[in-house]
Amino acid sequence: MRTGVVAVALALLVLAPLLPRPASAQFSFDARRYGMGGVSLSRDGNARRYNPAYRAVKNRNHVAGAPKFSIPVPIGLIDFLKQHPINQLGHDPMFSPESAAFNPAALLNVIFNPPIFYDVKKAPTPTNDVQVTIGRNQLIVDLGATKVLIPEQDFGLGTTSRLLDAGVGFAGFHVGVMGFLQYDVKFTLDSTLRNFLTNDSTARPNTNYFVNTDGTAQAGFAPTVSYAGRLLRGAGGDDTDDGFYIGGALHYYFGATYGRGIGPAGFTTGTPVLGATPTPLLNGNLYTSNKPFGKGIGGDVGVVWISGPFEVGLGANDLGAELTWDHTKIQRFVFDTVSNKIVDSVTVADTTSKTKLPITYMANAALQMGTGTTVGGDVINSGRGTIIHVGVEQRTGPFALRGGVSRDQRKKMQFGFGGGLRLGPIGLDVGFFTHSNSLSTQRAITMATSISIY
Amino acid sequence: MKALTAALLVLLAACGQGRVILNVDVLSFLSASDSVKSFNVLGGIPQTDSTVSRQFFLPPGFGKSSVDSVTATAAAALICTGGGGNVRFDVFFSKTQGSVFTGTPYLTASSGPLVAGDSVQLLPPTSVSLADTVFNTDTLWVGIRARIATNVGPNMTGRLRLQDLHLRIALQDKLF
Repeated sequence: MRTGVVAVALALLVLAPLLPRPASAQFSFDARRYGMGGVSLSRDGNARRYNPAYRAVKNRNHVAGAPKFSIPVPIGLIDFLKQHPINQLGHDPMFSPESAAFNPAALLNVIFNPPIFYDVKKAPTPTNDVQVTIGRNQLIVDLGATKVLIPEQDFGLGTTSRLLDAGVGFAGFHVGVMGFLQYDVKFTLDSTLRNFLTNDSTARPNTNYFVNTDGTAQAGFAPTVSYAGRLLRGAGGDDTDDGFYIGGALHYYFGATYGRGIGPAGFTTGTPVLGATPTPLLNGNLYTSNKPFGKGIGGDVGVVWISGPFEVGLGANDLGAELTWDHTKIQRFVFDTVSNKIVDSVTVADTTSKTKLPITYMANAALQMGTGTTVGGDVINSGRGTIIHVGVEQRTGPFALRGGVSRDQRKKMQFGFGGGLRLGPIGLDVGFFTHSNSLSTQRAITMATSISIY
Repeated sequence: MKALTAALLVLLAACGQGRVILNVDVLSFLSASDSVKSFNVLGGIPQTDSTVSRQFFLPPGFGKSSVDSVTATAAAALICTGGGGNVRFDVFFSKTQGSVFTGTPYLTASSGPLVAGDSVQLLPPTSVSLADTVFNTDTLWVGIRARIATNVGPNMTGRLRLQDLHLRIALQDKLF
């Protein structure tokens, strides 16, 4: 039991940094988007998700000559399957932990970076030896170059998703039901543990080494009434999209279930360090809803202004969304050193608790500058960090040239560039982009390819 | 110990393709009485053994891991305070206590002829074993043996002090 507790605790430490991959949430099959640093110039997808005013804007791409849709060309998948034939996956070192060449970091990189597109430059995975010195009076862990993978700040994963949004509408009004799923898990290495893994490397006697964990997950549905309409018309009248649009939605949230776990997990060294078996450290509280239907009210708002070649939008979701759960059970989980087991006890059998849905938002802007030039940008926060994209596209005849930059959720700058060639109703687009989604400190470069249908 | 090392292996397994090198200070896990053995053997005895064996733990997960190599080093000091004879210093490792002293010692060094007042340093040659399945386990036994042969005459008395005993185990970790 002790083995399992501590192993799980540190497994969280190991795996969690790998999970919060921002690009996965922004994954797209459109090479044009990658070529512009992640900017999306379409009015569907994120625009409608975050900005209710876009319900009133015609759903078409607002870039002259933009395609109807894109089909990805999975060159990366072809290359991946060439290197890892399906009929030999059972013996493939990448998927066989029994193999001496098995590298968990490489496998996780594949998971977090689905090999749809071609990796021009892979992020190197650490392959150095790790030294562990064990003695009754000492425990020294030298991770070598792998130290750089230890996160400096808190890390975790989280997002707010709208699983469905069904209903009927008339004259700008819309009545329906929205499903929601929100989770946020945050890990913070205690400074002592981080220092042990990155600097000191030598464990000290009678010292706690732990990770603070705080995770919440909740799901449910929300009957919704919304409105979206064009408040003001532009100079072009009804023949154009020009105008000022507003949108709003009121949600009455019915939470189906929720749970929250909070507390430290780790181990305590003895005196001397390994003079006795290190004691697992687990002391957490778990909040769970006894019954469904946590209730709350919240709303979305959004505005869009389109004036000729210029378009700007701003939308925010789940404003004031706080759910009250009338029947919550609070349990405490502690590792009992006497029985050598995790002991749980009900602290409060039935009480009231509150949870919040994080405010998510998106701001976007685009400008057609004439002579085939379009610039755009957006700022998105899906519940865990802000992502900024800025990009530009230059179209000249059948050719298109694109470039852009972005700042990902970890505040690292990323870059994209690409081009396209249109031949009648079909076009081929290529986009190169950097990302830091791999288990590495270095950026990788991926080439996305797609066919556009006009 | 098991808990900690298991957790560490989980940690290390995610660190890449490189090997895990375990440097184990075996001596530190032995008590003072284990590492210092006094002896008093009648003269004219062709062979008698003074032994000690202790269990220690290696990180769990070794069962599925492949051990690339194991390097063992040791050092001991021997003092003869009375009589005379020879002392051979042996170090064994085994998965079970019953078989600790049955195989070939990993480390061995002989004192050569000793008389009262002699003091010698025993430095067995470093041993390197490849793909040694003995170390495919998370519990291991170490055995220290002093094999004494005394000269005819007074009792041979003295003291063997273990000064160093280290293992360096290089393995490709496989936890799953």
